[in-house]
Amino acid sequence: MTDAEFSVEDLPDGTKRVILTGAWSLRGVQNNFADLRGHLSALFGNPFTHWDLSGVDQLDSAAAVMLWTGWGRHVDQRMLLRPEHTVLFDMLAALPSAHSFAAGQGNLMASLYMLWDKYLEFFSHLTGFVNLVGSLTLEFFYILTHPRKIPFKEITANFYKGGVQALPVTALVGFMIGIAMAYLMAIQLRKFGADIFIVNIIGLAGIRELGPILMAIIVAGRSGSAMTAQIGVMRVTEEIDALSTMGISRTLRLIMPKVVGLTLVAPLLVFWTSAWAIFGGMLAAKMQLGIGMEFFMDRLPQVVVPVNLTLAVFKGLTFGVLVTLIACHFGLRVKPNTESLSSSTTSSVVAAITTVILVDAVFAIVTRSVGQ
Amino acid sequence: MSKPGTLCEITGVWTQYGSTVIHRDLNLDIRAGEVTAMVGGSGSGKTTLLRHIIGLTTPSRGEIRLFGVNLAELDRDAAREARNRFGMLFQHGALFSALTVYENIAFPLRELRQFDEEAIHLLVMHKLALVELEPKHAWLLPAQLSGGMVKRVALARALALEPELLVLDEPTAGLDPDRSDKFVQLIKSIRKQLGLTVIFVTHDLDTLVGMTDRVAVLADQHIIASCSLPELANVDHPFAQNFFKGVSERLERTNKWKIAPTH
Repeated sequence: MTDAEFSVEDLPDGTKRVILTGAWSLRGVQNNFADLRGHLSALFGNPFTHWDLSGVDQLDSAAAVMLWTGWGRHVDQRMLLRPEHTVLFDMLAALPSAHSFAAGQGNLMASLYMLWDKYLEFFSHLTGFVNLVGSLTLEFFYILTHPRKIPFKEITANFYKGGVQALPVTALVGFMIGIAMAYLMAIQLRKFGADIFIVNIIGLAGIRELGPILMAIIVAGRSGSAMTAQIGVMRVTEEIDALSTMGISRTLRLIMPKVVGLTLVAPLLVFWTSAWAIFGGMLAAKMQLGIGMEFFMDRLPQVVVPVNLTLAVFKGLTFGVLVTLIACHFGLRVKPNTESLSSSTTSSVVAAITTVILVDAVFAIVTRSVGQ
Repeated sequence: MSKPGTLCEITGVWTQYGSTVIHRDLNLDIRAGEVTAMVGGSGSGKTTLLRHIIGLTTPSRGEIRLFGVNLAELDRDAAREARNRFGMLFQHGALFSALTVYENIAFPLRELRQFDEEAIHLLVMHKLALVELEPKHAWLLPAQLSGGMVKRVALARALALEPELLVLDEPTAGLDPDRSDKFVQLIKSIRKQLGLTVIFVTHDLDTLVGMTDRVAVLADQHIIASCSLPELANVDHPFAQNFFKGVSERLERTNKWKIAPTH
C-alpha cells in the first residue's frame, strides 16, 4: 500500500485540480497529517480548486476530517468522491459542532456557582465529620454492652503499624530537632551568661511542644495518609460494601480500631520523641556550653514540673484522635477515580497537620499558667 | 519475512513463572482480515497470550511477530509506531478515571500531534457515533458510566487511531445477554466499515458464535486446534469436544433463526 500522495494539474479554465492517490489513512505509518495539511493549505484556501478522490485506495476518518475541515466543512460539485467517501463525509456533516459545547465557561455566573459549590462542600464536610464522630460514639456504647465484640486484633495491628513501625523515624526527627534547637539557644543564652537555662528550654520545649507536634506531623504523614488511601481503595473496590453485607459494621471494624489504636499509642510516641529531643539537646549542650550530662539530668526534674508530662499525654491523645478521625473522614469521601484518591489523601494530611497546629496554639494559650 | 496474509505469527512460545509452565511450545498464526477467538479453560493462559501478542509481556522463550516484526526488538519510536497499529480493549475498559469520556478518546489522537483541536473534536465525535454513544455522554467521567457504556467508550478509544488490529479481552464479560448481543453486532458492523482484524478472548459462547471466523483452542499449555467453528467437531480432545457441544447447539439455533424468515 502506498502512502498518501497528491498531484496538482492545471485545468484549461485556469483553475487547478488536486488528484489524491494512495492510502489516506493513519494506517500508513509514514503519513503525517499535520504535514499534509500544511502542503495542502494553499489549495484549501482557493475556492475554485477541484478535488479528485476517485483514485484513493483508502480514506479513513482522520484523513476525511483533515480534508473536510480544509474544505470549510462542506462538500460540493468540485469534489469528485467515491460512494463510500460520500457516506463518510455525510457522517461527519451530521456530527455536532464544537460550539454547542462551549457553554458555561469562565463567566461570572459560573464562578459564583463555583463559590456556592465550595460553600456547600464545606457543610458536607462538616456533616460528614459529625456523622463519623456520632457513629463512632454509638459504637462505643455498643461495645460497652457487648465487650466480646471489641476488635482487639485490629487495634493491636494499628498499635504495631502506627506506633512500633514509627519508632525509628520519630526518634531521628526528635533527635535532630533537639540538636538544632540547643545549638540555636546556646548562642543566645551565652550572650546573657544564662547557660544554665538551656535545661529549662530544652526540657520544656521537648516535653510540651516538640514531642507532641513532631509526633502528630509524622503520624499524619505516615499513618494518616495510609489510612485515607486504604479506606478509599476499599470503598472503590466495594470491600466496605462486602463488610456491610456480612453484617459487620464498618465503623466498628475499620474506623474504631484505627482511632483507638493510634490514640492509645500516640502518648507513648510523644514520650519517645520528647526523650530523643532532650537527648539531642543534652548532647548539644555538652558540646556547645560544656554542661555535663549528669548535671543536665539532675536539673531537669527540678525545672520541668511533672504536670508538663500530664499535659503532653493530653496533647498526644488529642492529636492522635484528630489525625485518625480526619484521615478516616477523608477516606470515606474518596470517589472511584484516581484523581479523587490522590486529592483526598493530600487533603487528609494537610487538614490533619493544620488542625493539629491550630489546636496546639489553643492548648498553649489555655495552659499558659500551668507547670512553668 | 513472514508468510503473506499472516498478521501475527507465534512460534515456539514458552511462558514460565517459576516452576509453573503456562505455555509449552505454543504455535499459532493469525490471518489478516479474520476474527480469531481464543478459547480455553480458566487459567489456561489466554489473557497471558494476548498480553504477549501486544507486547505488554514477553514470553520466556520463543518469538512473536506482529505485523512481521518482534515488538521487543524495536527501538522506542518504531515500537510506538507499531503499537499505534493496533487497539486494545481491556476487560474492565481501563479508561483513565481522571479524564472525561471526550478526553479519554482524544488522548491517543493528541499524543500523535498531527491534529488541531477542531479535527480532534470531529474525530472524537465520529468515534462516539461509531460506537453509538450520544455527544452528551462525552462530558461524563468513567465512574458515571454503566458497564456497557464503559466498554463502548473503551472501544472508541481503541479505534481512535484507525488500527488494523483490534484486540479484545473478554469484550462481553459483565454485560447482560441483550447488551452483549448488541456489543457483538457493534463490533461486527465496525469491522465491516473499517476492515479490521480482530483477536479476542471470551468465555461467552454466544459472543463466540456471533462473530468468529476462526477459533484457537488453548488447552494442555498449547494450541490444540485453530480452525473454523464447524471443524471443531473433528478435533479429538475432551475440552474441544465439550466445547463444541455448546457451540453446535447455538450454531443450530442461529441457523434456524436465519432460515425462519425466508420460509
